[in-house]
Amino acid sequence: MIRLVPDQSAQITRTEKVEFTFDGEAIWGYAGESLAAALIRSRRLHLRDAPEDAGPRGAFCLMGLCQECVVVLEGQPVESCRIELQPGIAVTSLRHGADD
Amino acid sequence: MTDPIDILVVGAGPAGANAALAAARHGKHVVLLDEQEKPGGQVWRAKDSSILSAPQTPEGSAGDALRAEITKAQIDHRGSTQIWQIERQSESWDVHVIRDGEVEKLTSKTLVLATGAREFVQPIPGWTKPGVVGLAGATALFKQNLSPPGQRTIVSGTGPLVFFVASEIRRLGGTVAAVITPNTRRDWVAKLPALVGRLDLALRGALWIADLMVSRVPIYWGCAVVSVEGAERVEGSQIQKLDANWAPKGETWNIDADSLCIGYGLIPSIEAAQLSGIPISHRPDLGGWVPDIGEDGATSIDSLFLCGDGTGIRGAAAAELHGALAGLSAAEYLGAETAKERNILRPRFNRAVRFGLAMTALNIPRPGLAMLTTPDTIVCRCESLTQTRISQEVQVGAASTNAVKSGLRAGMGPCGGKYCQTAIARLIAMHENRPEAEILPPMPRPPLRPVSVASLSGEFNYDDLPIPKPAPL
Amino acid sequence: MTAGYDIAVIGGGIMGCATALRMAEGDMRAIVLDQGDLGQGASGSNAGTLSLQIKRVKLMPYALKGHHEWEAMGESVGFRKTGGYTLAFTERESELLHERQTLKAKAGAPIELVSNNHIRNAEPNLTQKVISASYCAEDGYANSSLTGQYYRGRLRDQGIPYRERCPVTAISQVGAGFALNTPQGEITASRILIATGAWLKPTAAMLGVDLPVNARINTVSVTERLGPLTSTVIGHATGLLTMKQKANGTVLIGGGWQGRGTPQEGRGEVTASSVQPNLALAQFALPALANARIMRSWTGFEANVPDFYPLAGALPGMDGAFVLGCVRGGYTIGPYISKLMGDFILDREPELPLFDPGRNFNED
Repeated sequence: MIRLVPDQSAQITRTEKVEFTFDGEAIWGYAGESLAAALIRSRRLHLRDAPEDAGPRGAFCLMGLCQECVVVLEGQPVESCRIELQPGIAVTSLRHGADD
Repeated sequence: MTDPIDILVVGAGPAGANAALAAARHGKHVVLLDEQEKPGGQVWRAKDSSILSAPQTPEGSAGDALRAEITKAQIDHRGSTQIWQIERQSESWDVHVIRDGEVEKLTSKTLVLATGAREFVQPIPGWTKPGVVGLAGATALFKQNLSPPGQRTIVSGTGPLVFFVASEIRRLGGTVAAVITPNTRRDWVAKLPALVGRLDLALRGALWIADLMVSRVPIYWGCAVVSVEGAERVEGSQIQKLDANWAPKGETWNIDADSLCIGYGLIPSIEAAQLSGIPISHRPDLGGWVPDIGEDGATSIDSLFLCGDGTGIRGAAAAELHGALAGLSAAEYLGAETAKERNILRPRFNRAVRFGLAMTALNIPRPGLAMLTTPDTIVCRCESLTQTRISQEVQVGAASTNAVKSGLRAGMGPCGGKYCQTAIARLIAMHENRPEAEILPPMPRPPLRPVSVASLSGEFNYDDLPIPKPAPL
Repeated sequence: MTAGYDIAVIGGGIMGCATALRMAEGDMRAIVLDQGDLGQGASGSNAGTLSLQIKRVKLMPYALKGHHEWEAMGESVGFRKTGGYTLAFTERESELLHERQTLKAKAGAPIELVSNNHIRNAEPNLTQKVISASYCAEDGYANSSLTGQYYRGRLRDQGIPYRERCPVTAISQVGAGFALNTPQGEITASRILIATGAWLKPTAAMLGVDLPVNARINTVSVTERLGPLTSTVIGHATGLLTMKQKANGTVLIGGGWQGRGTPQEGRGEVTASSVQPNLALAQFALPALANARIMRSWTGFEANVPDFYPLAGALPGMDGAFVLGCVRGGYTIGPYISKLMGDFILDREPELPLFDPGRNFNED
């Protein structure tokens, strides 16, 4: 298969994988990467339930503006696209019942 | 306390960083602020620290070069810093920032705002589902994290960005299910004269498109994604052809995907400029509402300068030069002699603008695009308000964005109206039969970004509370 | 000359709109004019507090009636009768609280002083540092953002014309009536009511009348949606704090902290130096607010005259011209005093006395 734009994914080297929890569930990401990116990669896309209609929502603008990717870290709501993943952090989503 | 700041630059993208560099060259004490950790803005976003090595890209090179220049010039760059309030004083500007959960007040003689842009997405059914990201947002993911947004992605939107995103997804190991763009091949051919001015970019774009074609990734010209399918997340999208006015027509067909990147051009981020007291005008050719500026970034306020995409979508090349011009203007205001340098830069800026505006023109929405938003489509994401709900409010007399905001909370949610106001203003214009230029967005309010009460409160001593005169009994 | 309307109401906030509605009940044809959208002045930007505990003693009968008006408006204005507490954290505040709330109770408000146990049970998330508190079961709040929508709907229902984004730029007396210049054409009326709130002074000046009106610039902030933290309206012995959590979970924080700006300049501005201590005090009173993020702070003008009693009556020295505004506690009292004003203009005896705008403001 001819490609004029090569697949360069294999040429990317990253830091070590680290574990963290998302709503109590253990998942992994790369140390120091954007938390939103780690959640997208592990397909944890559903981060909150919208008001009124409780529709599932997740990261949208990836620029720190839309507030759809907000999660709770150490009791503080924060945009996951603006957080660096550290090993062992416990992230809680804003989905209904997530902190039960 | 340190020396008062001469020039405070807000935003370290191509415009702001170059404003800082230009002003520093004339010996001014410059502080450069940015929300991100490292300079580069959106277009030259730095890589996450999780990336140890990766093949270089033109954006990567440009960004690395800029960051190196900032370091070499020893610019006082303060990253991971958000502005929450700007207050004009009689002889200076107070800029209130937050960094690491602590607030600080910075005082500067002049202010240069280079706040960039964000994207505009026309609301469509299902656009709020997890797995849908903006086109520009996707590029943030690529540049910062070098990851595709899913395993199989539909890429939809206008202008060159749609092909860039498709190409990046492929380069980073993802799969593009299809590229959908309202622009036609003819729209692009009409841009050939402008493209000749940037052969490097034109060839790059041609390569992206050729790659898609030889790899048999379908490109649907003159089409749009009209709905996003999936129970709890993206599972596919419905596509439809558009007529010359971008109104949907004919049959729809489905494409499976687990992610969708969608965007219809950039709109300037003008909130900081408005808060600083600058009036705005509606310029569709520049992406919508823009702050009023004069030559070289000057404004109606002597000590305030604006530059880059935050003043109108002219592209990164123009932004670099605009930033330099604005930085030099600020330095001139403080006594430096910069006229000669600006005279040399200005024609280069104007040339870059011609190319940038030609690309922006591909994004100018045609009237039919608004029809993609159906009655049940959520328009205000934060408050889950549908087009029907908003239309009803307009029809019983809410004839301004403020009135709709007050009555329905549209624009009162966490995003502050950033992702709904454009669509709402167009709805009002349509119902009221008034031009869009008359439907002003609501005035932005501080904080410019959500800030925790604890950060704003700082150290509080109850005894320090002022004792007010008792209220009249 | 035939006047176009029986009365032109300048100012489309609670005062102007509610008076126009009363006029219509008395078969007077009114038109309401506003420089912007209806209800976007003080009526639409205040924190929505409906509290008898912060009302002046002499205005208490008006406030009690005002609360009934809000209750009748109900859901359409987001009315909630939650009960309210006023807190004291120091001995001095305690004395102030005790003295004032006793007088207000005597004036007819169902206010009682409560024990610390009571308040700890009622509002467990408040700081333990409260040393005394008063309580009023009648207190609550409404959603001031809905003022415009509410009155627009009522004016439309009653067929009362209104013009938004229609500033009055000049007023002249023509015969026995008035002619008003606006960008949307000239309006004529036999009578005018000036109800322009923070803009009372320049509006009255168009008729050569000097009203000693000042405007305070009150700051309000709102948080993101939060889990339940409080269920009542919280106030402070000095007035420096008001807090309430609305049904949607957002917490509104006020307290009359001053921003900057004048009505002539348009809208006021929030200042960091005043909003920060306001929020610090809120966090002191409700520690769980620490991690809550503020979404938005804004200011609204609150007009007053030197004796801090309402202007409600005939404009001094002029037949057919009336003024209503500067009501201390105007949000609460507005819907009621507007009825009195309407009755007055209709030549009926108002149920309670009005407040002569021509009085000597320096008398105690």
